[in-house]
Amino acid sequence: MTTPGAIRARQVELGFPLRGGGRLPVLDGLDLAIDGGEIVALIGPNGSGKSTLLRVVAGLLTPDSGTVTLDDQPITGPDPRIGLVFQEPRLLPWRSAADNITYPMELVGWPAARRIERLDALTELVALDPSVLGNRPSELSGGQAQRVALARALALEPGVLLLDEPFSALDALSRERFDLELLALWERASPTVVLVTHNIAEAILVADRVVVLSPRPGRVVAELPVELPRPRSIADLDAAVVTSTSRAIRRHLGEEAAA
Amino acid sequence: MSRTALLSVLAALVGFVLLWQLVVIVSGFPPFILPPPGSVASRWVSAWAAGTIQPHLGATLVEVALGFSVGAGSALVVGYALARSAVVERLLSPYLVAAQATPILALAPLIALWFGPGLLGKVLICALIVFFPVAVATMVGISSVDARLLELGRSLRATRQQVLTTLEIPAALPSILGGMRVGVTLAVVGAIVGEWAGAEKGLGVLINLARGSLFDIPLMFAALLTIALVGIVLYLVVVLVERRLVGAR
Repeated sequence: MTTPGAIRARQVELGFPLRGGGRLPVLDGLDLAIDGGEIVALIGPNGSGKSTLLRVVAGLLTPDSGTVTLDDQPITGPDPRIGLVFQEPRLLPWRSAADNITYPMELVGWPAARRIERLDALTELVALDPSVLGNRPSELSGGQAQRVALARALALEPGVLLLDEPFSALDALSRERFDLELLALWERASPTVVLVTHNIAEAILVADRVVVLSPRPGRVVAELPVELPRPRSIADLDAAVVTSTSRAIRRHLGEEAAA
Repeated sequence: MSRTALLSVLAALVGFVLLWQLVVIVSGFPPFILPPPGSVASRWVSAWAAGTIQPHLGATLVEVALGFSVGAGSALVVGYALARSAVVERLLSPYLVAAQATPILALAPLIALWFGPGLLGKVLICALIVFFPVAVATMVGISSVDARLLELGRSLRATRQQVLTTLEIPAALPSILGGMRVGVTLAVVGAIVGEWAGAEKGLGVLINLARGSLFDIPLMFAALLTIALVGIVLYLVVVLVERRLVGAR
């Protein structure tokens, strides 16, 4: 039996209309297969369509042609099996941290007792300090806000977690800590994770496979497995395999940029 | 309200009364042109004690409450439609601007002619004057809702009604309540204008009576003072609601 959460993108093309007419091609015949429970990092230059691809998988954008499936079912819109964390926390400023986390549960009509139970579990899962649950987003640090956003994305226990550069606004140390916590979270729940990042070290530390996209219009130019054993730690970044994988990623990014 | 804020409000009030007294002394206006603050205050107290003001105040408050409810309620609906539909915006905008540009003083006699001197005409005048600021504030508030929050709602499969109640209205609330602050004070103006156009009761009627047949200028000022107090209290009510709903963001 295959692990749920398998994503397949076949010949996905997508463009955005230009104000003066015509279309700006963003994804160009993109093919990608992600197995259930796999962690894949998407890396590529600005404008390569990484975030656009994530939105297509999240059901927020419909491709002009091609198909995207989740467990062999076409994705035609936002799906409760998919959790999405945006680049910025995107919290509702008029709600407390706790109410932001339980927001998806309210939308699907979970009763209060179930919401509270799940809130407790999520607070522990994302290592959020319970004393800040009553705080408004303006009273949270950047790291706390992003933990709340992560907890909200995990609220409905999705089998797929899409992360659009979620730690890019954090300092280097906080970012490494979040990467490790993401791995710990994956060890517990094993969702399929698709991480968009610009950071090569982060991609290697977290992912089973790094997918390199070309400059716009985006297509897959390389898929590089990361041969690091799990569980991983920051010390693994000193391993020789990291250097060779990093070099390979840079080479592909450089070749595509020069092309 | 903090102690400092309360003291500054009291200081402003004392300053205003002193300035008024100073103008009375320096100008030498007779009391039937500009009565001193002391005689207005004593007339205000005696009018309340004699029950002169209460029925007029009651009538004005009913007009204000109904007019504000109708005007603000319909403005919320129209403001939302203006923000979310380019067609509605194109169709309605010219009429809304034209209605706003026409002075309510000019419209009031016409409305009194059409709907008579009863409550309905006053409520309509109040509603008309309240409508524009609340509609515009709602339109601006809804148009300004962060598109990223709407995308979040879509990603969580929020229904149209859930988007409205859990995202759009809370996000637009500061703007909407800002419009209501203006609207609630204009509602008082609308009620007085409506009463001037024809009525049997109301603070506007009391002003006319005091100025005309009674020739009781201190009573006229007492009625003006009551109108000002009604406006201030209603404004503060909206401010309190605003602080409760959006203050902690």
